[in-house]
Amino acid sequence: MNYMPGTASLIEDIDKKHLVLLRDGRTLIGFLRSIDQFANLVLHQTVERIHVGKKYGDIPRGIFVVRGENVVLLGEIDLEKESDTPLQQVSIEEILEEQRVEQQTKLEAEDRKRYIHYSRDGCRGSRKPGGAP
Amino acid sequence: MFRYESLEDCPLDEDEDAFQGLGEEDEEIDQFNDDTFGSGAVDDDWQEAHERLAELEEKLPVAVNEQTGNGERDEMDLLGDHEENLAERLSKMVIENELEDPAIMRAVQTRPVLQPQPGSLNSSIWDGSEVLRRIRGPLLAQEMPTVSVLEYALPQRPPQGPEDDRDLSERALPRRSTSPIIGSPPVRAVPIGTPPKQMAVPSFTQQILCPKPVHVRPPMPPRYPAPYGERMSPNQLCSVPLQPGRMSPSQFARVPGFVGSPLAAMNPKLLQGRVGQMLPPAPGFRAFFSAPPSATPPPQQHPPGPGPHLQNLRSQAPVFRPDTTHLHPQHRRLLYQRQQQNRNQHRNLNGAGDRGSHRSSHQDHLRKDPYANLMLQREKDWVSKIQMMQLQSTDPYLDDFYYQNYFEKLEKLSAAEEIQGDGPKKERTKLITPQVAKLEHAYKPVQFEGSLGKLTVSSVNNPRKMIDAVVTSRSEDDETKEKQVRDKRRKTLVIIEKTYSLLLDVEDYERRYLLCLEEERPALMDERKHKICSMYDNLRGKLPGQERPSDDHFVQIMCIRKGKRMVARILPFLSTEQAADILMTTARNLPFLIKKDAQDEVLPCLLSPFSLLLYHLPSVTITSLLQQLMNLPQSAATPAPSNPHLTAVLQNKFGLSLLLILLSRGEDLQSSDPATESTQNNQWSDGGDVHGNTRTSTNSPSSPGQANLYTYKPSVPLFSLC
Repeated sequence: MNYMPGTASLIEDIDKKHLVLLRDGRTLIGFLRSIDQFANLVLHQTVERIHVGKKYGDIPRGIFVVRGENVVLLGEIDLEKESDTPLQQVSIEEILEEQRVEQQTKLEAEDRKRYIHYSRDGCRGSRKPGGAP
Repeated sequence: MFRYESLEDCPLDEDEDAFQGLGEEDEEIDQFNDDTFGSGAVDDDWQEAHERLAELEEKLPVAVNEQTGNGERDEMDLLGDHEENLAERLSKMVIENELEDPAIMRAVQTRPVLQPQPGSLNSSIWDGSEVLRRIRGPLLAQEMPTVSVLEYALPQRPPQGPEDDRDLSERALPRRSTSPIIGSPPVRAVPIGTPPKQMAVPSFTQQILCPKPVHVRPPMPPRYPAPYGERMSPNQLCSVPLQPGRMSPSQFARVPGFVGSPLAAMNPKLLQGRVGQMLPPAPGFRAFFSAPPSATPPPQQHPPGPGPHLQNLRSQAPVFRPDTTHLHPQHRRLLYQRQQQNRNQHRNLNGAGDRGSHRSSHQDHLRKDPYANLMLQREKDWVSKIQMMQLQSTDPYLDDFYYQNYFEKLEKLSAAEEIQGDGPKKERTKLITPQVAKLEHAYKPVQFEGSLGKLTVSSVNNPRKMIDAVVTSRSEDDETKEKQVRDKRRKTLVIIEKTYSLLLDVEDYERRYLLCLEEERPALMDERKHKICSMYDNLRGKLPGQERPSDDHFVQIMCIRKGKRMVARILPFLSTEQAADILMTTARNLPFLIKKDAQDEVLPCLLSPFSLLLYHLPSVTITSLLQQLMNLPQSAATPAPSNPHLTAVLQNKFGLSLLLILLSRGEDLQSSDPATESTQNNQWSDGGDVHGNTRTSTNSPSSPGQANLYTYKPSVPLFSLC
């Protein structure tokens, strides 16, 4: 039953499995149990999924209450198609390690860029290369 | 407190076979200790407690007789032959019922005294049915409904003698004052959120599975959790060590299907608040995304046992009607229809429901999902009510323009399809937004009582002036040329914006005609005319001279992309003379405009209104237009070998198209009206002449222009002159 045709409403998404992307970059997957007028969400049996390359790892988190303003997007997960993914699931430790490595390489690349940038003539800033961003 | 001691003495050994291990004994002893010395023993009002004890003691002998009698005729004995054990239990004063508040026992009207299983759920929710009361799971053991509500709502029950005593003795806290309708937070032996110490869970599961009654104390600490509004704390739920294969829902499933007798008197709030708590969670983080497996057999009887009961009961309970008076009546009707449908769906979930089959996959999932419908229908309606409120508007075309247009388009499409006879168009449910009269709120600044005069309080509606900004106009001398140019451009932009607003209003008049009353229409017409005139004035510059001295104003507008688009939209509204004037001016200045349009390339948008216009113009105008366009001298002087004006025109797509349209129109007019003046003829042929000449002199015209040029087949007379 179409609750409110022509509008965007979360009411029909209740009790369905959703993937929620947050503003801080986290990906949560859980059953949407409750909403309110600010689109605050209550997620049940939530899992935080970390993606690195072609691998992903799930960290079980339990119940999440997400403030509406922090949600970038969310979408329903088709339970039948859920397992149909080219990505490979790995253990939590492994994915966290991968994530750390990825962050490391990113930082190094950034530092290198900054160093090159600042070591050019006539381009002096107050920042030290290799420092915190 | 003499009974208390007897309880301790009460041997738990008899029922060792009923439940596993003696571990519980230790746990219970600890529990006793806690109640006596620990947090459970806080009791400020010992006098009250004493008095109550005394009361119950008097009632005890009466109750005992009743119980023995009733046990025999207990036909709803699902768990087997516990009647035999009745006497046993009675004599031992088993504590199985301490969860049950004596007040509740009195208040709840059931068939005469059931012997609830030890460690059973507090079944006050399930009041109408004694069997329900027997369904006790480890989790429900924790729940205690509000004493007060039931006490007031339902007739008194004969007291349960022995259990009352024990209950009271265990329950150290006095009864709180309560309100008749809503109730108040229940008494807590332990602060809310305290994790329970031990759970004698296996005993419970055993109880239900095994026919014998179990002399076991149910887990104590959160004995009186909040009835509604508060879900069970995760601690409580998770610490219940459910063993695989012993899930409570499956236990419920064992109970042969019965329909809870209507709890007419039951407070629906209580019910609804309880709904979510009836089912235990999966312990820990098992299979997250699979439905909790009911490991024990016959899960197929129906969805988790309490489910249908819950829904049945809920459906029979009085419906909450949220305040929907402000909603559009049709929407309100829709809401209730939906509610009815939902209820029907739930009813169908029990046993064979064909209606739900088309949504089977989703329903299946819901059926297996014990956490479904945590959000009540009432709450969903509340959220959608808020959403609808935000859509209230007196002028939807103003507030929600794109939405309205989009749905109009869709409707037109479907109407068109229907006309074609494609069959019944698919149902497009429309959102009916409430139509609310706009209330004008006059802002009144905050006034404090007792203050002399008015205090200025700065708020959103009444902001305080923070900066004294003074507008100073610059004198002409100071400005440099660039500034002048910039200012001029800005002025042009402002004029464009103002004219655009007028244009939007004028375009809107059609819709307003339909909406307004008959009397108002002439006034609207006048308004519209007036606006059109001011638009034209804006375009041409407001100089009231007989002849527009300069095209400059117009040209400036036409240099800006938005201006060109706007002119294209305005043209249909102008009178023929006015529009011809515009066209003339455009033709006169076309090379300049073409140059300015090099980046935007928006001129072609003017083509269609111009061509429409041309069909209304007389031949005189056409001829003069042609002259303008080609910049022919009025007298047939020797045509210059190179005509930069014409060259520029021809090299531009717009110019070329315009020329062609002009020529074709002229042709039509010539052919349709043979009796034309010779001067006109001459002029026309001159035009044709020049046309032929310039064909050779153009260097690399744009390719579409080329194509246009050669597709145009001038009539014989023209070519004859070339």
